[in-house]
Amino acid sequence: MKEKWSALMQKDGAKTVVASLLSILIGLLVGCVIVLVVGLTNPGMGAAAAWDGIRLVLGGILSTGRDAVGNLTFGFNPTNVGNMLFRATPLILTGLSVAVAFKTGLFNIGAPGQYLMGTAATLVVALSIPSTVVPAPVVWLLAFLSGILAGAAWGAIPGLVKALLNINEVLACIMTNWIAANLVTWIFDGSNWRNLEENGKTGYIYKTAHNGVETAKWGLDTIFPSSQVNWGIIIAAVMAVAVYILITKTTLGYELVSCGSNRHAARYAGINDRRNIVLSMAIAGGLAGAAASLYFLSGNTEFAWSTYQFLPPVGFNGIPVALLAASNPIAIIFTGCFMSMLNIAGQQLTNLTGYNEYITDVIIAAIVYLSAFSLVIKMMLDGQKKHKTSVPAAADSAPVPGGKAEKGGEDA
Amino acid sequence: MAAENVIEMLHITKRFPGIIANDDITLQLRQGEIHALLGENGAGKSTLMSVLFGLYQPEAGVIKKNGQEVKINNPNDATALGIGMVHQHFKLIDVFTVLDNIILGAETTKAGFLQKREARAKVEALSERYGLKVDLDAKVEDITVGMQQRVEILKMLYRDNEILIFDEPTAVLTPQEIDELMATMKEFAKEGKSILFISHKLNEIMEVSDRVTVLRKGKYIGTVDTKDTDKQSLSDMMVGRSVQLEVQKGPAKPGEAVLSLRGFCVPSRAHKRNAVNLVSFDVRAGEILCIAGIDGNGQTELVHGLTGLEKSSGGTVTLCGEDISHASIRHRGGNMSYIPEDRHKHGLVLDFTLEQNMVLQRFKEKQFQTKGFVNKGAVREYAQRLIEQYDVRSGQGPVTVARSMSGGNQQKAIIARELDREKPLVVAVQPTRGLDVGAIEYIHSRLVAERDKGRAVLLVSLELDEVMNLSDRILVMYEGEIVGEFDPKQTDVQELGLYMAGAKRMEKGGHSA
Amino acid sequence: MTFLIRQTLIYAVPLMIVALAGVFAERSGIINLALEGIMIFGAFIGVVFVNMIQEAGIFDGAKADNNWVALQGFALMAMLVAAAAGAVFSLLLSFASVNLRADQTIGGTALNLMAPALVLFFIRIIANQNVLNMSGGDAPPWFMLRKAYFGYGRTDSMGFFGETFINQTYPATYVCILLFILLSVILYKTRFGLRLRSCGENPQAADSLGINVYKMRYAGTTISGALAGMGGFVYALTTANCSASGDVAGFGFLALAVMIFGNWKPLNIAGAALLFGLFKCIAASYTSIDINGDGVCMLANLPISVNLYRMLPYVITLVVLAFTSQKSRAPKAEGIPYDKGQR
Repeated sequence: MKEKWSALMQKDGAKTVVASLLSILIGLLVGCVIVLVVGLTNPGMGAAAAWDGIRLVLGGILSTGRDAVGNLTFGFNPTNVGNMLFRATPLILTGLSVAVAFKTGLFNIGAPGQYLMGTAATLVVALSIPSTVVPAPVVWLLAFLSGILAGAAWGAIPGLVKALLNINEVLACIMTNWIAANLVTWIFDGSNWRNLEENGKTGYIYKTAHNGVETAKWGLDTIFPSSQVNWGIIIAAVMAVAVYILITKTTLGYELVSCGSNRHAARYAGINDRRNIVLSMAIAGGLAGAAASLYFLSGNTEFAWSTYQFLPPVGFNGIPVALLAASNPIAIIFTGCFMSMLNIAGQQLTNLTGYNEYITDVIIAAIVYLSAFSLVIKMMLDGQKKHKTSVPAAADSAPVPGGKAEKGGEDA
Repeated sequence: MAAENVIEMLHITKRFPGIIANDDITLQLRQGEIHALLGENGAGKSTLMSVLFGLYQPEAGVIKKNGQEVKINNPNDATALGIGMVHQHFKLIDVFTVLDNIILGAETTKAGFLQKREARAKVEALSERYGLKVDLDAKVEDITVGMQQRVEILKMLYRDNEILIFDEPTAVLTPQEIDELMATMKEFAKEGKSILFISHKLNEIMEVSDRVTVLRKGKYIGTVDTKDTDKQSLSDMMVGRSVQLEVQKGPAKPGEAVLSLRGFCVPSRAHKRNAVNLVSFDVRAGEILCIAGIDGNGQTELVHGLTGLEKSSGGTVTLCGEDISHASIRHRGGNMSYIPEDRHKHGLVLDFTLEQNMVLQRFKEKQFQTKGFVNKGAVREYAQRLIEQYDVRSGQGPVTVARSMSGGNQQKAIIARELDREKPLVVAVQPTRGLDVGAIEYIHSRLVAERDKGRAVLLVSLELDEVMNLSDRILVMYEGEIVGEFDPKQTDVQELGLYMAGAKRMEKGGHSA
Repeated sequence: MTFLIRQTLIYAVPLMIVALAGVFAERSGIINLALEGIMIFGAFIGVVFVNMIQEAGIFDGAKADNNWVALQGFALMAMLVAAAAGAVFSLLLSFASVNLRADQTIGGTALNLMAPALVLFFIRIIANQNVLNMSGGDAPPWFMLRKAYFGYGRTDSMGFFGETFINQTYPATYVCILLFILLSVILYKTRFGLRLRSCGENPQAADSLGINVYKMRYAGTTISGALAGMGGFVYALTTANCSASGDVAGFGFLALAVMIFGNWKPLNIAGAALLFGLFKCIAASYTSIDINGDGVCMLANLPISVNLYRMLPYVITLVVLAFTSQKSRAPKAEGIPYDKGQR
């Protein structure tokens, strides 16, 4: 089951890339077909609108709006690119979060909850320590670290119940997601961090800039004018590299991955599998928490605190980011950017056409669906290659006597 | 008896990616005979039978029933032709009752609703007639392996099968149960049913079969009448060279006790009682102590409790003078090598490379890491040395993914890793399961060599031949307890069988005798 | 008390039927993590169907005639349509996990992402907002039973039983309960049920007995999809004002928890669903629950934050899972793709 993901990660990088590209291609195709069908069947739209929609789905990042005649215009749009990088920041980190868990044989669908807890901790710290007393960069750092810690603590909960009670981590994650959603609402409900100043805009927490705390832009604002991009993207990329090193080069990574590939063998070899499950979920949670921190510490983003009926999609979107990258931390930097590019395209779609941004969610879902059997796609690629170059077949597909189908873990 | 062929499998070829499991094999089964199919693990016996049973489709060859060519696309076709099979790994649903298991797939219904009354009557009649005692309302998970096999036989009889395939049926039985099974098989044959009996055990084949067909590495070697042959020549046909049926070893020179268990208990996962109950024994340096018993009598739990994979619920374990009853797995590993029962589950991380597997316990040692970073060069060098020393064959050396290696070489890799750690105690659980004769010989000689180096070897085996050949001392385990201790030179398989089946037991404390 | 029982049933019944949906999939060997998504999809299609009936004017006609049989008929038809939609949507899961032997957890997650995205995309295009309501200010109480239908006057009481189980209840609830019983019997007493269960426990054995595992798994997942789709619409009808918003608030996952808590057995599931229904009911309407009928809403007067009540069902689920998962016994082969060639 999940073990396969880590197997997939270690070899045949090329085939993985092709499989991912195929998934993306088919996903985009599904999106375009839906746009086309809706356009042609909806009396208010028609073929021209459908064509506009398709062009934006595929090239929204390059959109520069409409010209005087009302035709779509395309070109390099630094604002869009900057915003893409800004939105990629949390996606890369939630993608890493999901990927680290995958490596340990766990499915972290709890990133939304970890993200919310990270958000709450970051905002509380960033807004409650007056930057007039403590220097703003120090407040920033404290807020960032508390976001990571809060996410890590929240991620450790499903890890603990999995390790100690063998509860399916997927269910535990989903419950902790909703508990987090209610808890965060509770924390801010009636607090004095609610932004009551701006009229007509209730239900938001102060931006951290209110307290003078924001992530530095250091030149990025001149490259990508009037966009929200800041050094958060660099931090995210650095963290991706750090995770890569952790997984592939260290003894801790060796331990985590061996637990993920075969928990029984790891236990047999004296590796503490329970500790590693908790640790891996804590690391995953910390990364999701960091995603929230970097997003809200930009100083310019607002948090709608009454979130008890709503989970942040960026948490769930970490799943496709990780799947597309086959859990390779370096590849996640790119797949994260790709996902946020889709996001920008969706925004353009809402602004410029009768369609709306949810079509990009459909595309993402289609990509996840395809990723579920990208192994099969890879096998098909394998089969074709074999016919062409007649590489001698590996003996691993031969039936092994006495080899029983092994279940991934012993989920309750 | 008329020598009429009921089933003919002519020139059957079945390929799997990368290997030819059956290469132009011909098998003719006569009416009313017991026909043995002999071959080593991996010779293609099970594949051939799966083809006959409709589970696989052959790439070439035809199957004839009573001279008519037939096409068997699935087990339904096989059943319609009167072919039934007792599989090596029983095909039973653990949580269903015995009756539900027997009728599954051949149910009588009224408007879709199950009608179990007639079925029950029929099964009861069959069970009476052949003396196949079963409890129809018990759940399969609660009954003994022997009874499970009787359920499998009743499944065939319930479907009125005339051609019965038994795939390695004796592996899980006591010698006494084996005798009963042989009698039942002869009874079937007398009634005119035709039986295909798959085995690699020469004794049984000599005893029960009329003719023998031998396969080797997917190829047809020949068919002989049992009365015209003997064990040695069958063995030569099966392996393709002369084999030594006995292990060469000198007398043991036991020293001090390395491992001591006193009143050791391990709880069961399946039921409320202890899987291992108040077990006490010593393993001394320079001896091979063998634990014999039918599968499922607590051997697995005993070893898991000993190595720390399961928590014990009582008693003490002393290893090299140190009480390790509550020590961690890693700590226990400091003085213990452990060749596990299930090499895919415990022995290897199949998706890791060979070199990564070679340091599964040792990656934290100084030579293999610097400040938390894996020292890849040292790991590779070490793996390379083990591969050469233990003759582990693999496609790409240290970077071969373990999954792609053959079973024998996977086992060799585990043995290399474990024995090279040079610990005073070696625990080996069914180290030769599923391997061919060459690999078995090799592993046996390595274990004897460990003994001769003065290490204590604890061997758990289900194969009585292995037990008799290899051990210096035998303990028999039955329902979680040690029920007897034997010197292999002064006992025989029949006596061990009585103890393994629980029919006899020595007084407690027999270990010190 | 009447209110409490009625409300508990309203929450418990969709949970129960969706948990049973989970049972049919898992007993055949497929982990259906997509229950949530299928519910969302079924709810949407059901609400769209109700809207179509309204636009066709049929609904208004029946309403004007006070023809409650016809109105109930519409509700029933909407349930069927939702079930069909759920069944079709679940084919995506069956295809991935049976034919392509994909990872069922990821496949289910994909459907859970897909459903709200598709639904919101279409709702936005149809309604130009994020919620699809019944059109024209109509409300789901039209689909309720009323005293008047049975000749009672406005102020007459139907007695405790009548008030609790008939007046102002949705017949849809009882349809679901009947269906639940019927399907449970099928699961245990028929050839189909026996074979389905064998595929979830030991597909190799089932295959060796001539049972088509692939077909059985398709059947299990499709029944599962139909039930979840129907449950989704019933949820929308009875607790969400017959509106679709691409969200069922984790109900599908709660149903999975109910299924595990109920140990994959229908009777236990019914009990577990009632318990969870009670907590959901308290969370949703603790302000208006009057337990002993003295006009005092006790829970609302306790100094406890509304957020705690809202959180409670999820916390309880986690705690209950913690206590039961050790003993619970999942179908042995669930989640393992079945490959005919590999034995």
